[in-house]
Amino acid sequence: MSDPFSLNGGAAIAMIGKDCIAIASDLRLGQQSLGVSNNFDKIVEINSKNFLALTGLATDVLTLKELIKFKTNLYKLREERDIEPSTLANLISSSLYEKRFGPWFISPIVGGLSKKDNKPFICGFDSIGCIDYSNDFIVSGTATDQLYGMCESLYEPNLNPEDLFETISQALLNAVDRDALSGWGAVVYIITKDKIVKRVLKTRQD
Amino acid sequence: MDIILGIRVSDATLIATSKAATRSISILKDDDDKTRELNKHNLIAFTGESGDTTQFAEYVQANIQLYSMRENDIELSPKATASFIRNQLATSIRSRKPYQVNCLIGGYDTKTGKPSLNWIDYLGTQVELPYGAHGYAAFYTTSLLDKHYREKMSIDDGLKLMDMCIDELNKRMPIDFKGVYIKVVDKDGIRLIK
Amino acid sequence: MSRRYDSRTTIFSPEGRLYQVEYAQEAISMAGTAIGILSTEGVVLACEKKVTSKLLDDDGSAEKLYIINDQMLCAVAGMTADASILVNNARVAAQRYLKTYNEQIPCEMLINKVCDIKQGYTQHGGLRPFGVSFLYAGYDDRYQFQLFTSNPSGNYSGWKATSIGANNSAAQTLLKKDYKDEISLKEACELAIKVLSKTMDASNINSEKLEFATLSLSSKEEGKIIQKIWNDKEIDLLIKTTGVLNDKSTGDE
Repeated sequence: MSDPFSLNGGAAIAMIGKDCIAIASDLRLGQQSLGVSNNFDKIVEINSKNFLALTGLATDVLTLKELIKFKTNLYKLREERDIEPSTLANLISSSLYEKRFGPWFISPIVGGLSKKDNKPFICGFDSIGCIDYSNDFIVSGTATDQLYGMCESLYEPNLNPEDLFETISQALLNAVDRDALSGWGAVVYIITKDKIVKRVLKTRQD
Repeated sequence: MDIILGIRVSDATLIATSKAATRSISILKDDDDKTRELNKHNLIAFTGESGDTTQFAEYVQANIQLYSMRENDIELSPKATASFIRNQLATSIRSRKPYQVNCLIGGYDTKTGKPSLNWIDYLGTQVELPYGAHGYAAFYTTSLLDKHYREKMSIDDGLKLMDMCIDELNKRMPIDFKGVYIKVVDKDGIRLIK
Repeated sequence: MSRRYDSRTTIFSPEGRLYQVEYAQEAISMAGTAIGILSTEGVVLACEKKVTSKLLDDDGSAEKLYIINDQMLCAVAGMTADASILVNNARVAAQRYLKTYNEQIPCEMLINKVCDIKQGYTQHGGLRPFGVSFLYAGYDDRYQFQLFTSNPSGNYSGWKATSIGANNSAAQTLLKKDYKDEISLKEACELAIKVLSKTMDASNINSEKLEFATLSLSSKEEGKIIQKIWNDKEIDLLIKTTGVLNDKSTGDE
């Protein structure tokens, strides 16, 4: 009950398709059983090809959004280029490990395309920064178990952007419907080499 | 438990706070004001640990007023005010003795002409909401607000809805909270309705 | 007499002067010129590159123009090494403000912060002042487009058009003559080229010796600021359309 990871609730997911990736999250913010907001965005656009999704304790979700934005904005100014997804992953990893003995209670997911060859990249982290690389899907949040189940049965490699959208949306929607702490709307981002498509999903409002 | 409740209507934000100041089994005061004016268009309402609440509210009030003094009387917007307060609480939660203060920020942005209600808890969780409350009041009122809240409500509609919530609280809360102060934040600033 | 007071930045001379600060300003008046012009549609910054050599391995990025945040740019005159310390400070301060308030820092507040650092080095013992003047081009929702300068003493001021570096007084005379309040951004760019072509020592003006940047509002996305650091081709095209080269060549003949 007093687990900081499941106080506010929330779920996020990322998937790799053919030359594209998708990253999605629900929109709920609660205080245990009480729903407070159905418009709590857990995904940040780091740059036009890289996204960060954060689940866990909402205050830390906000703090990390601000912190990583701070660091990547300075990175862009100093390097005069956008950060690469693998570099972003390592930046987040070391930022989390910095708080090894008093961690942020969050489980981030990074999704993006590399600048040069648009190679898809996704990864997840534990709260102290261990990177979990993946070439299919990554899930996090209070609906983790349900999301794994959905992904294991729905996912197939090399999906085109439209099919990937359908797969990730179905995986997320059906997972959060079996979790009391997540849901209340969802957002999905499909990232391809020349555009980002953001879709807000209507879900069950209970 | 103290009551703080906020509703955002089309051109104002309404804030209600209970008048009772309780300690253990006693009501110490029946005209306690649980709000502070941060600047002309931002009002903070707070509940929590009794010493911490006023201490924290007056600390952020001082900082926000200092900002205006340094910046040629330019006011911090509601969004910036809420972000600043969130940051203070988020820093505090990882300190040796965190402030145990939950608050609502009722604001009116003079630049965009939009009212806002920001909900912030002692952990530093912040959300912009159409209506919200802290503590037990949230359990009693959210369902009422869900049912009756409409986009584009007038201040009067908002006050009527507020009264419905207060009636419900009076009916269901086990202890007398001695009524509420209701304040409005709009383009003309902050004023007490009752 | 002055020698006794020269080496100390913190000590006033009997005439009430701070020699080290004045020397720093002297150093800047020999650096490449930078011009800033404020228009109704945006701000233009133009600078002269002093050292150009074909052996210089140029990575294509601007030497004297820096982006500070999403709505500010600055041009440097003086010691580039000193400037990069201050620019870094400004960038971090801008991001820190963004992190606490979730809003962009107002231009003047940021300039004030940088100038506080500069001022500190004219008062605390044992250190020399920063050998840089800045031209800041910025936008914020308080005062829209703005143009500021700051110098080693830590003073700053807002302008409609101004210049720093070598021949800055000549440049300012020209600006005073040709500036008009309702100037468009395009006219401002042309004016900048015209003034620079006259104040620069070099006989012919081209993209190799120039750096050029503009700050303007996006026509597509409301409230979005466009920071553009011009590439060589764009600068050469501007020089051509301005016609300063033709004036020169006919003059020579």
